[in-house]
Amino acid sequence: MNLALEAHSLGKRYKRNWALRDCSLQVPAGRVAALVGPNGAGKSTLLNLAVGLLRPTEGTLHVLGRRPDGDRDLLDRVGFVAQDTPLYPDFTVSELITMGARLNRRWDTPLARDRMEQIGIPLDRRVEGLSGGQRAQVALTLALAKRPELLLLDEPVASLDPLARREFMQVLMGSVADGDTTVLLSSHLLGDLERVCDYLIVLQTAHVQLLGGVDELVNEHKALTGPRRQRADVAGVAAVIRESHTDKQTTLLVRTNGPILDPAWTVHDVTLEDLVLAYLAYPAPGRAVLGVAK
Amino acid sequence: MMWLAWRQHRKQALFAAVGLAVLAALVIPTGISMRNAFTDSGLAACLRGLGTTEFLRGDGCDSLSDMFSGRYETLATLSMLFVFLPLLVGLFWGAPLVARELEHGTHRLVWTQGVSRMHWAGVKLGLVLAVTVVAAAGYALMVSWWLGPLNQAGQSRMAELSFDVQGIAPVAYTLFAVALGVFAGTVWRRVMPAMAAALVGFLALRLVVLVQLRGNFLPAHERTFPVIGQERPNPTLGDWTFSTGIKNAAGEVMSTGEQIQCGPAVAGRPDTICAPYGPGAYNFELYQPAGNYWPLQFIEAGLFTAVAAVLLFLAVRQIRSRIA
Repeated sequence: MNLALEAHSLGKRYKRNWALRDCSLQVPAGRVAALVGPNGAGKSTLLNLAVGLLRPTEGTLHVLGRRPDGDRDLLDRVGFVAQDTPLYPDFTVSELITMGARLNRRWDTPLARDRMEQIGIPLDRRVEGLSGGQRAQVALTLALAKRPELLLLDEPVASLDPLARREFMQVLMGSVADGDTTVLLSSHLLGDLERVCDYLIVLQTAHVQLLGGVDELVNEHKALTGPRRQRADVAGVAAVIRESHTDKQTTLLVRTNGPILDPAWTVHDVTLEDLVLAYLAYPAPGRAVLGVAK
Repeated sequence: MMWLAWRQHRKQALFAAVGLAVLAALVIPTGISMRNAFTDSGLAACLRGLGTTEFLRGDGCDSLSDMFSGRYETLATLSMLFVFLPLLVGLFWGAPLVARELEHGTHRLVWTQGVSRMHWAGVKLGLVLAVTVVAAAGYALMVSWWLGPLNQAGQSRMAELSFDVQGIAPVAYTLFAVALGVFAGTVWRRVMPAMAAALVGFLALRLVVLVQLRGNFLPAHERTFPVIGQERPNPTLGDWTFSTGIKNAAGEVMSTGEQIQCGPAVAGRPDTICAPYGPGAYNFELYQPAGNYWPLQFIEAGLFTAVAAVLLFLAVRQIRSRIA
C-alpha cells in the first residue's frame, strides 16, 4: 500500500503537556481523509508536524516517504492551509499569487488565476476586503496552485457560515476529483466532512481513537437492540463500544468480527456520525487502533 | 523571496527615504547658514588663531563663540532629539519583523511555501539590516556635518548626547535597536509586547553604557590649574570633562562640581570666594581628551554591534527551532 502519511508512536509535548501521544496511523495515497476530534485533541499538532512546522518530541513521521523537517524538497510537494487561513491582509489576491510563484519551484499561475475568476474573486482586491469564505477560497487556491501530492487543511471551514462551508467543500472536492492528490483535512465537526471523505481518523485527547476507510468502518460496526440485559458475549461481536439501557431495552454499538446470528438481537447499520460519537465517548484512551483498512 | 521581502517592507523603506529627505531639508540649509555665520563672525579665524593651546589667558574666543552658540542653541538642543531615531527604527522595523507574522499566523503561510525558514529569515533580516545601515549612516553623516561648527565653538562632540548622534555610534545603536526588536518579537510573538521590550531594553543598555561605562573605556586624564592665577583651560579643545572640583595644596578635595579662579591682585584677601581654599589650592578636572573621540566611537560602536550580532543569532535560533 502506498502511504502518503505514516506515523509511528508519534508524540509532541509542549512544556509539560502532551498535545499528541503514541499516535500511530497511516493515510493511504489517493484518499480524502478526515481528521476528526474535539478541540484540543491534537489535530492541528498532527497537521503542523506533517508540514514540518513542528518537530516531533518522540516517534517517527513520514510524509510522502520523507521526514518533514522544513526543507523545500518536501514543501514543494505539500500544500497546506493553516487554521484560520492566514493571509497577508495588505496584499491583493494577485500579489499573493505572485508570491506563490516566487517562492515555489512548482507553481501553476494560470490555475490560480482561473480559479479566482471562476469563484468570482477580483484579483485586484486586497485580502482585508474579502469575506471569510473568500479568504478561505484564496488560501485553498494558493495551496492547490502548488499542484501538491498531499494537501493538508487545518479546520478550513471552522469559521465559515454554512453556505460558505458547502461552497468550500464543493470547490475542494472538484479540485481533487482526479485522485492524484491525497487530502487530509481536519474538523471538530464530522458533519463538515462526512460527505467528502472516504477515510477517517478520530483523535481524542492526544490519541488516535479510530482509523480506517469509511466504508469498512461502517460495515464493520453494527447497532444491536434487544431486551434489557447485562452485557453478555454475543457471537460475532469483537468489542462493545457503547451500551445504553432503557427500562426494557438494551442498545449496543459494537465492532463485529463476523455475522451476528443471535436471534435475541436485532441488527441495524450505523451511520458514520453514530460511530464517531460512540468512539469519542469511548472511555479507553490509548486503546489499540481499530479497523485499519487494508 | 526578495520580491516578498520588498513587498512587505517597501512602506518602511519609503518612510526611511522620506525621513532622510526631511532631515536633509532641515539640516542642509541651516547647516550652510551656520557655516557662513561661523566664518563671517570671525569665530572660525579666532579659533584657528587659538589653535590647540591648552591654557588661555583672557577672553580667548569666548564672546564670539558665546554669541554663535547662543544663536544656534535651540537647534543644537533640538538636534539632541536625534538620539531617539535609532529607537524608532528598532520599534517600527525590528519589533514587527517577525512578531507581526507570528501574531497574524502568516508564518504558517510563508514557511510552508517552497522556501526554507532559514532562507526566509536570511533575506528578510538581510534586507532590513541593509536598509537600516544605509539609513542610519545617512542620518549620522548629516548630523555630524551639521554639528561641525557647534562642536568647534565649544560644544564638544565628546559630550553626552552630542557623542551619541555623530560618527559611527548611531549606526551601531540602530543595528542594536533593530536586532533587539527582532529578538523580542521571536520571544513575545506579538507586536506590542515586542515593542515594549525593545523600548525598555534599548534605553536600559544605552543608559548603562552612557552613564557607567563610556567614561571608563579609556583612562581619563587629569588637568589642573591654580585657583589664584590667570591661566584657565582652553574651552574649545573639544575635551569631554566629566568631573571637576577644587583641591587644596595637600591634594585633598575641597569641593566638587565647581571651578573658581581669582586674580593675583586679590590673593590673600579674606573676603573673596577664593579665600577658603588657602594658598596653593588648585582646580582639577577629569576628562577624555578630544583625541579619544574616534577610539571611543569605535569601542562603543563595536560593543553595540557585538550585542546586536548576539541578539540576531538568538533570534535566528528561535526562528529555526522554537517557533511553529
